[in-house]
Amino acid sequence: MNMQTTSRLTAAETALVEAFGAQIGELPGNGAVIGTRDRLLDDLKKSGLPTRRIEAWHYTDLKNLLRILPDAATVSAIDPAAPLVEGSKVLSILQGTADAKAAVDGVEIALFRDRLADGSAAAGLTALDKDDAIGRINGSFVRDGYAIAVPANTELDAPIELQALHGAGQVHTRFPVSFGAASKATIIERHRSVAEGSALVSSISDIALEDGADITWIILQQQAAEDTHLGQIRVKLGTDAKLRLFVINAGGKLVRQELRIDVAGEGAELTLRGVNLLGGESHTDVTLVLGHNVPNTNSTEIIRNVVFDRANGVFQGMIRVAPDAQKTDAKMSCNTLLLTDDGGFSAKPELEIFADDVVCGHGATVADIESSHLFYLMARGVPENKARAMLVKAFVAEIVEELEEEKLVEALEGVISAWLEKHA
Amino acid sequence: MAAVQETIDQVRLIDVDQYKYGFETVIEVDKAPKGLSEDIIRFISAKKQEPEWMLEWRLDAYRRWLTMEEPTWARVEYPKIDFNDLYYYAAPKSSAGPKSLEEVDPELLRVYEKLGIPLREQEILAGVETPRVAVDAVFDSVSVVTTFKKELQKAGVIFMSISEAIREHPELIKKYLGSVVPTSDNFYATLNAAVFTDGSFVFVPKGVRCPMELSTYFRINEKNTGQFERTLIIVEEGAYVSYLEGCTAPQRDENQLHAAVVELIALDDAEIKYSTVQNWYPGDAQGKGGIYNFVTKRGDCRGARSKISWTQVETGSAITWKYPSCILRGDDSRGEFYSIAVSNGYQQIDSGTKMIHLGKNTSSRIISKGISAGNSNNTYRGQVSINRRASNARNFTNCDSLLIGDQCGAHTVPYIDVKNASAQIEHEATTSKISEDQKFYVMQRGIPEEEAIALIVNGFVKDVIQQLPMEFAVEAQKLIGISLEGSVG
Repeated sequence: MNMQTTSRLTAAETALVEAFGAQIGELPGNGAVIGTRDRLLDDLKKSGLPTRRIEAWHYTDLKNLLRILPDAATVSAIDPAAPLVEGSKVLSILQGTADAKAAVDGVEIALFRDRLADGSAAAGLTALDKDDAIGRINGSFVRDGYAIAVPANTELDAPIELQALHGAGQVHTRFPVSFGAASKATIIERHRSVAEGSALVSSISDIALEDGADITWIILQQQAAEDTHLGQIRVKLGTDAKLRLFVINAGGKLVRQELRIDVAGEGAELTLRGVNLLGGESHTDVTLVLGHNVPNTNSTEIIRNVVFDRANGVFQGMIRVAPDAQKTDAKMSCNTLLLTDDGGFSAKPELEIFADDVVCGHGATVADIESSHLFYLMARGVPENKARAMLVKAFVAEIVEELEEEKLVEALEGVISAWLEKHA
Repeated sequence: MAAVQETIDQVRLIDVDQYKYGFETVIEVDKAPKGLSEDIIRFISAKKQEPEWMLEWRLDAYRRWLTMEEPTWARVEYPKIDFNDLYYYAAPKSSAGPKSLEEVDPELLRVYEKLGIPLREQEILAGVETPRVAVDAVFDSVSVVTTFKKELQKAGVIFMSISEAIREHPELIKKYLGSVVPTSDNFYATLNAAVFTDGSFVFVPKGVRCPMELSTYFRINEKNTGQFERTLIIVEEGAYVSYLEGCTAPQRDENQLHAAVVELIALDDAEIKYSTVQNWYPGDAQGKGGIYNFVTKRGDCRGARSKISWTQVETGSAITWKYPSCILRGDDSRGEFYSIAVSNGYQQIDSGTKMIHLGKNTSSRIISKGISAGNSNNTYRGQVSINRRASNARNFTNCDSLLIGDQCGAHTVPYIDVKNASAQIEHEATTSKISEDQKFYVMQRGIPEEEAIALIVNGFVKDVIQQLPMEFAVEAQKLIGISLEGSVG
């Protein structure tokens, strides 16, 4: 490798470069893929990890926050776990390796490592823009995942669970998923630590909804308190497509979750809901870039955050309405319960609007629990700590309840309750 | 679309083609050579008969400025400014400072008359029941005449040009100048510190309620002169002042640079109300020419229970880069920001505010209304920051944008940083054109469409217009347009 010393690299940057050097021989991929990986790593090396001087990373100075990387050579042995919702079809990725025998009736499933090997994954490996550090890291190191295609007019009766379990070490996965016209499905993407030690996980889901597809996609991040999670969801919505995207963060020490959504078909509808449960010393950043790029599309986004301990939370939400995207209706809200003076929350809800016949708005609030609500419960004999817990839970559970599928709601409420019991 | 026709017309009224104040006055001008260097700064300082420490202050700023880079984060685009191709000093030629209006060049007075500035005392006095306004007029770079100075002196209020203040009240200048906007604050503020030529100075002593509204009219006249004013307002314990700033500039082909710094200091229980109407030349219909306006305005609520309120009506300038801010340092202090920003043609506005909550029980309120038309871009950029120790802080922010036409852009970029659990922060923003629902609601009560729209547009900016002092509300209405004026008035 031709090392360029344009700027001094941090320990983490050096570790990435060295890990790449050490792995390049065994990373899956044909010539085109290796070429792309080289370019991505080279870009990463030149620009370094992003700092707060880069607007998209204003609140998450990755160069500063990501100091030490877990050893890429660590391999943890992991066993599959029970699915979140009983009856789901599980596609497991254990320590970053997909299961060659995985199959779901009526759905085309391929191993992403095979796509890398035959080169068909090369085009999708590129970064989205010059500030796309996650795209660069993942594109350089990705080893496996599933490429899934749900055929047109297919309705899946059980959810598919992408079960990514890991222990210490590094895991880089990718999930290109396409939903055919008028298909209907629920996908649960789960990132979970099941063994001791810290891990670096980067994961990109590249989701395309064709005309009229109706999809529920749930991301549940439950990594360990020492882990880093760099997630990116790329979404493209076709005509009349409907996506309900739920993002739940309940773990990790350094979390950046990017949602890059392209509403590209007329009549498309996006429902985004987020729950961020933040505790300990964690730093969690959810960044949304939502483009309404054609006329007559709708979206609503509601993000609820609960901040305990010394945690820091970030929500950046950009709604961009293209010049021709008349009749866009987009509403975003970000509500935060800040329950500590040692932590903090930063919100940057942005609107960028180039069409005139639109209705766009955003709201953001940050506050402690409303004292009148507390009083109401305490006046009825509920002790204060219990009353607070009830109110906090209600604040986030409300979001999950929108899912309607009973089993799913129950399971997610279980996750929320368990987290709150541990942290509140 | 009929719904927006009226607003379009009203915005067009202030459009460049009809730029009412686009005339040029030919007066003898005393100018420094083009360019910027230590020598030019020495020249400016000598011209102003400044003491040695002031020159050092300027030179220090200049040396810092040389190491700084122009900020690029704002949503504005313009060709690179050649800072060495500007005149940094232009003064209307007049012998030792005029003592009365009679001594002032009559051509200059005619300019003000065209602008409708109540410069002549008798005119103001003649105004029935209108509160009197003291004017410190800035013609290009030098404060020409200050009216009402004597009367203000009786109340103990000092209102003079900053160059005079440097000579006459060096102790106040040394203590306060640069204490809110430090010389190293940002590229343009540092440039201003090095080369500022004039501006206003206000000092309201303890317990005094300033007996009249104070006002400065800024006007850029000479070709290729940057105008760098510096305003410093100090309001002591329990005192109050309302300050008005209005700006017009003649029509020009080339872009002119304007980089002002305004510093406000409010001590315990003091209150400052600062209002601006800015209608500088926005460039022609093709986006040629116009003023570049890079302004740093900041108020420091230094004392407990102090209050600073910014109100601005921005209709002019090719580029506006301006974020009047409040540092809420004193406990129980209050900051307010009310803004109407109208952009048309190829104007680019990137404006907003910062509310920095440091003290306990501080509160702030932000109301911003943007109207974009033509090919313009109108951005609200604001920050609300709650320090870890700022318990019980309260903020309410509301930014609304109205779009007229499909070639313009409206953007909202708020930053909200909260580090204290007892804070209560609310932010809301909307962007839309006039909704059919609203129109329907009003019309079904028997109000004709035209009136219904007038009512809605009126309602859109009402919150801000209400904050303006009477004299300014009138000018603001003139600027925003006939229909709006009719419905607001």
